[in-house]
Amino acid sequence: MSTAPVRTRNRSEIRARAAATALAAAAVFALPGCAGGADNHVRDSGGPITVWVDPPRVPAVDAFRKAYPDIPVQVTTINGNVGSTELQQKFVLFNQAGKGWPDAIFFPSNDDIAWAASSKINYVRDIGQNLGDIIPEYPASVIAQCRIDGRVRCLRNDAAPDVLWYDAELFRQWGYLPPATWEDYERLSLAIAQDHPGYLTGFLGDAYAPDRYLWASGCPTNERISEKQVRIELTDNRCTRIRDLLTRLVDAGAVSPSGIFSPDAAALGRRLAMSPGAVWWGNFLFRDTWKVDPGRITAAAPLRWAGDDAPTTSSEGGGLWGFSRHITGVQLQNTLTFARFVATDPRWQVELSVGLPAYGPLQQPWLTKQRQAGYLAKFDTAAAAFVLASTIVRSGRDYTRYNTGTVWTHTITPALTSGQPFARAWDTFGQRLTSEARSFGYAVRAGP
Amino acid sequence: MTTTLQLRTLDAQPRHHAARPRPRGRGHRPERRFGVLLIAPYAALLLVAGIVPTGYAVVKSLQNESETGFGGISSYTRVAGDFRFLETFANVGLTLAIWLPLMLAVVVLLALLIDARPGRFGAWMRFVYYLPGALAGIANFMLWLFLLNPGQSPISFLWHGFGYRNLSEVAQPGNLPVILAAMLFFQGAGTWVVVLNGGLNGIPDTLLESARLDGASAWDVAWRIKLPLIRPWLGYMTLLNVAYGFQLFLEPQVLSQVTHGMISPQWTPNQLSFTYAYQILDTPAAAAMSVILLVITLALGLLIVSRTRLFDDGR
Repeated sequence: MSTAPVRTRNRSEIRARAAATALAAAAVFALPGCAGGADNHVRDSGGPITVWVDPPRVPAVDAFRKAYPDIPVQVTTINGNVGSTELQQKFVLFNQAGKGWPDAIFFPSNDDIAWAASSKINYVRDIGQNLGDIIPEYPASVIAQCRIDGRVRCLRNDAAPDVLWYDAELFRQWGYLPPATWEDYERLSLAIAQDHPGYLTGFLGDAYAPDRYLWASGCPTNERISEKQVRIELTDNRCTRIRDLLTRLVDAGAVSPSGIFSPDAAALGRRLAMSPGAVWWGNFLFRDTWKVDPGRITAAAPLRWAGDDAPTTSSEGGGLWGFSRHITGVQLQNTLTFARFVATDPRWQVELSVGLPAYGPLQQPWLTKQRQAGYLAKFDTAAAAFVLASTIVRSGRDYTRYNTGTVWTHTITPALTSGQPFARAWDTFGQRLTSEARSFGYAVRAGP
Repeated sequence: MTTTLQLRTLDAQPRHHAARPRPRGRGHRPERRFGVLLIAPYAALLLVAGIVPTGYAVVKSLQNESETGFGGISSYTRVAGDFRFLETFANVGLTLAIWLPLMLAVVVLLALLIDARPGRFGAWMRFVYYLPGALAGIANFMLWLFLLNPGQSPISFLWHGFGYRNLSEVAQPGNLPVILAAMLFFQGAGTWVVVLNGGLNGIPDTLLESARLDGASAWDVAWRIKLPLIRPWLGYMTLLNVAYGFQLFLEPQVLSQVTHGMISPQWTPNQLSFTYAYQILDTPAAAAMSVILLVITLALGLLIVSRTRLFDDGR
C-alpha cells in the first residue's frame, strides 16, 4: 500500500525535523536567563502619572484631576475582588520586562502589600521620608501594617476597625441592650436564636470572617516574625476560646454559613440582629447593598473579652495605597502630590470616600458629613465607637504572602454549607493554613 | 476487497492510499515543495507556541529555586511534595472518570442512532445535538452559571430537589466533579457526534448490505461492524478529551471566584502550577508541574494511540 517514495520522504523529513529541533534548542538556550529578581530601574516621564484603582476608588482619581488639572493622570480600573491573584501576576511580568509599573496603586486585598514589599517583587517605595509629615497623624494601630522591617511601605486609605453593629429597632422591641463583651455576645446570640428564630447574629462564610473573629481574639494566624518566618498557633487559648464560642453559635443556628458578599447575603442581612463588623458595613452593606431602612442600624463599641486587660478589636480591610520605587524627578513629585491628595484631602476622604478616613484629622469632618446623611440611628454613640475602634486595633496580625481568608473560605465555608461540625472544619483549616504558609516558603513557628 | 478509510491524521503529510503506483520523479518534487509550503505556517506556529515554550519549561524546571543555576530535580521534588499535589490529580481524575465514559457511551449511541436514520430527520437531530457545542468556551460557561444558580435557573426544580437554595450550595467542592463532567459533556458531545457520524458515513454501504444478507441484526451491525471501523475516531476523541481534561483550568478557576472562594484555588494541577508561578513566585516549580502534566498526557496519549491503532493504515 505505502509505496517506495516513503523512504526518501522520511529522510528529508528527518533532516527537516532535526533542523527544527536544533533551531528550537538554540532559541531556548539563547533566551536570557530571567532571574525574576526585582528591577532597580528608575524613570522620569517628565510629568504624566499612571494610577491603578478599583471601582470604588475611581472617584478619588476624578477628584484629583479636578483639583490638579495640570497633572496628566492615566487611570486603569482593576479587579476589586478580595483575594484575587491577578495583580501579582502582572507585577511578576513587569519585573521581568523592566517596565509597566503604575506610579500609584490601590491594593484591593490588604495581603497584596506582602508581595509588593517582598524582596522578590520589591515594588512599593519607602514613603517614610517623602511623606514623613503626615505619617504621624495616623492612629498608630491603623498604619502599623504599613511599617515593614522599619520602613513605611504604604498608606492606609480608610480605617476599617470592627465595631458591634446592631439593629436598634429590634433591640428596642425585644428589650435588649447591646453586649459589651464576647461572653455577653454569645449569651445574647443563643437567646435570639431560641426566642426569635430566623434572625442572625453573624456571618461566617466570607474571607473576612477570620479577621472578624480570630484577629479580634488575638489568635495568632498571621504573626510575621520576619520575611521568612511566621507564627501560627491555633492551639493557643486565644484561638480555642473563639473556636468554642463559634461552635456553640453554629450549633444553635445563630450564625450563617454564608458570607457578607454572598448573593443571599442581602436577604440575610435584613434579618441581622447584631454582628461584629467593620466601620464600612454601615454604608457599603447595610445602606447600599442590603438596603436596610434608615434609622434602624447603629454601632456600639467593639466587643472585648472579659478576661483581657485592655479592649482591643480587629480590622476588616481598609485599603492600602502603594507608590512605585521605579520613578524619580517630576513623575515622582506628581505621584507624591497624588499621595498627599488621596491621604489627606477632604475632597476625597470626606466628600466621597465611603469609609472612615485613616488620616486622623479628617475623621471628625467625615463623621459630621455622615451625621448629615442621617442613615444611622443613635449617631453619636456610633461615631464614638468608630473613633475608639480605630485606636485599639490589635497588633500581631500582619499581612503575609498567604491569605488566611482564602484558606477559610475553602475549608470552613464548604464544611458549614454541607452541615459538617465546626470543630472538624477548624482542624482542617488549621492544617491547611500551616501547609499554605509553608508552601510560600515561610518557616512556621508554633511557640512564642 | 479492502476497505480504505480516509483518516485525518495528526501528521502533516497527506497519506497515500490509492492502489495505483505513483510515477517516481515526474510531478513529485513540485508536489512536495507545495506540501512544505502548506505546512510551513503550521510548523512556524508549532515552533513558537508549542516547541519553544515546552523546551523553555524543561530548561526552567531544571533550575534551582532562585533561578541562578542548575538545580537538578529539586523543583520536581518541591512541587510533588506540595500538600495539594496528589489532591489535584485526584480531582481531575475523578472528573475524567465521570466524563469520559459518559461521553463515549452517549456520543457513540447518538452517532449510531443518527446513522441508522439517514435523511432529514437524522440531519436535523445532528444539528440539534451540535447546538450546545456551538457556544464558545466562556459563553458556554456563563450559560452554565445561570443553569447552576437555583434562583435563576430554568431547572431550579432539580436544585430544590437536592435541597440547594443558592449557587454556593450547588457548586460545593464535593459536587464539582459531577458539575464539571456535565459542563464538558454538553460542551463537546455535539461536535463529536458530528465527527463520528462523518466516520460512520465513510463505511461503504456494500459492507453493511452483505452483513445484513448474512443475517446480522441491527445490534450486530452496530456492535460488530460499525464500532470496530470507527475505533480510530473513538481513540481520537478519547485522546483529545483526556488532554483537555488533565489541563482543566478555566472552569474551576471561575467557579472559585463566583462562589467567593469556596472552591480551592488549587483544585486542578494546572491551577497549582499557576499558583506556583504567580503567587509563590517559584517559576522552576511551576515549570516542573507543567512538564509532569506533559509527560502524563503524552503517556496516556501514546497508550490510546497504540490501543486504538489510531495511526495505522487501514486494512
